[in-house]
Amino acid sequence: MRYPFYFLLFILVLALTLPAVAQNYTLSGMVRAAATGEALIGATVAVPGLKTGTTTNENGFYTLSLPQGSHVVQASYIGYDASSNTVTVSENNLTLNFSLSPATTELQVVEIEAMTLRQKLNDTRMSVETLTSKEAKLLPALFGEVDLIKTLQLKPGVQSGGEGSSGLYVRGGGPDQNLVLLDDALIYNPSHLFGFFSVFNSDAVKSVELYKGGFPSQFGGRLSSVVDVEMTEGNNERIQATGGLGLISSRLTLDGPIVKDKATFLISGRRTYVDVFTRQLNRLNEDKKDYNPIPDYYFYDLNGKFSYKLGEKDELSLSSYWGRDFFTFRDDDFRFGFDWGNSMANLNWRHKYNDRLYSNTSAGITSYKYTINNEIDIFSFKLTSDIEDYTLKTDFDLFLSGGHSLKFGASATRHNFTVGRLNFDSEDNSQSFGAGSKYNATEFGAYISDDYQVNAQLSLNYGLRFSGFNNGKTYFALEPRIAAKYNLTENTSLKGSFANMMQYVHLIANSGASLPTDIWYPSSASVKPQRSQQVAAGISHLFGNGQFLVTNEVYYKWMERQIDFRDGANLFVNDDLEAEFLFGKGKSYGTEAYIEKIKGKTTGWVGYTLSWTYRKFNSENPEEAINDGKWFPTRYDRRHDISVVLLHQLSKRINLTGAFTYGTGNAYSLPVARFAFQDVQGQRSSVVPVYSERNGFRLEPNHRLDLGLVLKLKPKRGAADLTFSVYNAYNRRNPYFVYFDQLEDEATGQITKFQGKQVSLFPTIPSVTYNFKF
Amino acid sequence: MNRKLLSYFIVPLLLLTACDLEKDIEVALPAHTSQLVVECYLQPGKTYKLTVTESVSYFDAPQSPFVTDAEVYITHNGRRIKLNYQPHTYQSAGKYYTHTSTEVMRGKPGDIYGLEVTDGKGRKVTGFTKVLPVVPIEEVEWKFNEKEKAYLLTTYQDDPNVANYYRFVTHIDSVGTKPDRDFTTSDNLTNGKRTSIGSAYDYARNDTIIVSLYHIEKQYYDFLNSVDDAQDANGNPFGQPSRIKSSVQGGFGIFTNLAYQRKTVVLH
Repeated sequence: MRYPFYFLLFILVLALTLPAVAQNYTLSGMVRAAATGEALIGATVAVPGLKTGTTTNENGFYTLSLPQGSHVVQASYIGYDASSNTVTVSENNLTLNFSLSPATTELQVVEIEAMTLRQKLNDTRMSVETLTSKEAKLLPALFGEVDLIKTLQLKPGVQSGGEGSSGLYVRGGGPDQNLVLLDDALIYNPSHLFGFFSVFNSDAVKSVELYKGGFPSQFGGRLSSVVDVEMTEGNNERIQATGGLGLISSRLTLDGPIVKDKATFLISGRRTYVDVFTRQLNRLNEDKKDYNPIPDYYFYDLNGKFSYKLGEKDELSLSSYWGRDFFTFRDDDFRFGFDWGNSMANLNWRHKYNDRLYSNTSAGITSYKYTINNEIDIFSFKLTSDIEDYTLKTDFDLFLSGGHSLKFGASATRHNFTVGRLNFDSEDNSQSFGAGSKYNATEFGAYISDDYQVNAQLSLNYGLRFSGFNNGKTYFALEPRIAAKYNLTENTSLKGSFANMMQYVHLIANSGASLPTDIWYPSSASVKPQRSQQVAAGISHLFGNGQFLVTNEVYYKWMERQIDFRDGANLFVNDDLEAEFLFGKGKSYGTEAYIEKIKGKTTGWVGYTLSWTYRKFNSENPEEAINDGKWFPTRYDRRHDISVVLLHQLSKRINLTGAFTYGTGNAYSLPVARFAFQDVQGQRSSVVPVYSERNGFRLEPNHRLDLGLVLKLKPKRGAADLTFSVYNAYNRRNPYFVYFDQLEDEATGQITKFQGKQVSLFPTIPSVTYNFKF
Repeated sequence: MNRKLLSYFIVPLLLLTACDLEKDIEVALPAHTSQLVVECYLQPGKTYKLTVTESVSYFDAPQSPFVTDAEVYITHNGRRIKLNYQPHTYQSAGKYYTHTSTEVMRGKPGDIYGLEVTDGKGRKVTGFTKVLPVVPIEEVEWKFNEKEKAYLLTTYQDDPNVANYYRFVTHIDSVGTKPDRDFTTSDNLTNGKRTSIGSAYDYARNDTIIVSLYHIEKQYYDFLNSVDDAQDANGNPFGQPSRIKSSVQGGFGIFTNLAYQRKTVVLH
């Protein structure tokens, strides 16, 4: 497909949709929290009688196009009681505002979301998964560490890289192809400890929205998904403390008003403490001769949010995140330190020009950095890589008559890359050398989109994003996006979408894990930006008196200019990284079925994904082509993926939860042959494995059941609960990796047999966490 | 380096999650068409000798598969020197050769040698090597700390005019033992510099250390690294599988020459 085609498509859609629907009138207004006056973003405003509805924008504003007559309009929001009003529509530009009161029990919280089933049915957007911290906290978690990102892996079309990993592989995309935003600011490496935990502290985060396709035009810069994480705001009522004591970490959050009804704050921290135990263990064993001390490891996160209402029309907020992982080892002669982490600060100004025009402008800094320090006697070795971004961004919402809601805006980012900065020195100056590169690049984007409610059945969201990147060479691209929804019946809707995405910065990583030493690298004269196109179609059906929503989507995604590496590529300290790159293409297709029930004492969902994901890397030098230049499945190509999640409220004090997952085993490379290698002297005699097809084998299927129980306590003050989790309840030995071992005769040292071995990571792991709020 | 770092993290995690996490499995491998494997290191002043074996399916019985009908020729300046099939083992080093000649290699830096191996199944392996000059070890130093442990510092001068590759090996007491340290490096970051290779505080007083600095061809450097990568990938969940970068065509293996200097120091 070529751009002229996109233009034609875009013009055609515009021509089709611009004629206003003359008989419709515009109703608009705000949805706010009753107690705090906080604008509720993403609240549902529905007209059940017309089977239509919409959601509020980032300012809590909504607009609906309704025919003349009397209509019941209902507003709802997760964690709040729904509110209904009857409005008589006979003229344009009517206003109807809602104030929602907080829900009082967890059950209500879950029930309220049932309202969103109809909204989901009627939403123009497709391929979107939403999750709140409150939901995630009810579900069982590894080591009791509640993790929104890992909970997202239970949704169809989303896979983890491996057991325990918080990496997201969305519809065949890699973890570096996710646009991870925290309060609108980019987070480059959203994981701790090689991806076992995400950087999002469940107390500091309110909710997350994951877009798997049909991307709205305001998002750009990544190919495969948008992970839009929203931080919790400080409450406006009183100062409160929330926290938890867990198996491996503890959390504490303080929030409250600074100036009542004007300014609030939230400060939240989390730290692991395995290092406290390992240090103690080292101390107890320090006299033992053969004891190898365990290195120190810990991570911490700090989140902060400050909001200030300047007046009726203006609101400022400052969001920030600071997180670091530390790994240290030292003895008398040797010191090794390795630390890495993200930091982010984003200042946001929301302004209301009038009831129809809103703006949201932000200026932010985000960075990811790792440093390795190694010192021995007079010699020191230091390796640093980092990326630092300065971003200016503005978005406008303009509500027009005739059912049109325009969204337009622009953004510009200055990237500063330091790639593999190495310094090797000695105190006596006898040794000194360095390596590494610095790059500065500019990325920009501008977009316009229209959310157009054509009539009660048909709605469209179409837009165009213009993006570009400059790093010596300038790239431009047009990224058309379109999504449509058509209500076949009151309870059945059809949806379709197309999205073109560009990615200008690339993660240089050639391992299956999310390593902190992975490097972000800009597009350049010889490294062209990655591009993807995705088409998706789906059907949603509401049944069982509105209690169940079943959705089925099919998708096909093309990816161009994907990056992989030559065999044996040195990515660690290399001044000519680009010489190690191979460029190829990818494709991914599949279908996702999803049924959810959110009302009643028993709620949950069942998801099933059938998918295929492939890559192909050719090279001018056939010896360097991966898999001889033929298509091969990615490691996370998963034919079948099933997840069943159930939440049951046993009593007012006890919630039971369970999550079962099944997935086809990861595609894996294993040696098919071997030969003996003696080496020069013969002392290094060894067996050399010969690999053939890339990812030509399959590990055994992965499946496990996690169980959870939340017991509400009755403290004298505030609220508290004990959350019990059992990870892998039936102790399934899921394959983490497979290798070929050689068995030797103990007496002679001769090899007697070669044997395949499978290694698992996590057996049954029970945990308990104490959570409190006062 | 990445893999080492990673293992630091994975070990405590595995400890944390208790034992019994490994089990034997059966893996059905596709049929493998066996290929010739050659290993030949020409060394000025030494006779021509090499080993010819063949690759086997991974789970085949573990004996060494000699290729008895392999014919081996080394070519130099238009001459074809035949190496005869005479398998024998050097007991001291535990190393075996399958083909030898009584002729001594007299190559000088810049000379090019060729290799030709054929067998009864119609398989053919060829390769070339260019004799490299020795890069001298300028200095071997050591320093003891308070705990009577010493680090070792070996210094050499890199030639700025060409891309150079090195293999650095140390043995304790005898070269007949397993190397104490063994790694390859290039002058990518140190071109033209007087370069030192250091160690940790690994040595005791009166240790005898034999330091060998091999000046190696790029094809040998690539082969050694690809062998290391392939071996690492078997058993490393994060490793990418690596193709063996042989210096020969038509099979697996290495045909190169050895230009090295060796120094022995006793750490008094």
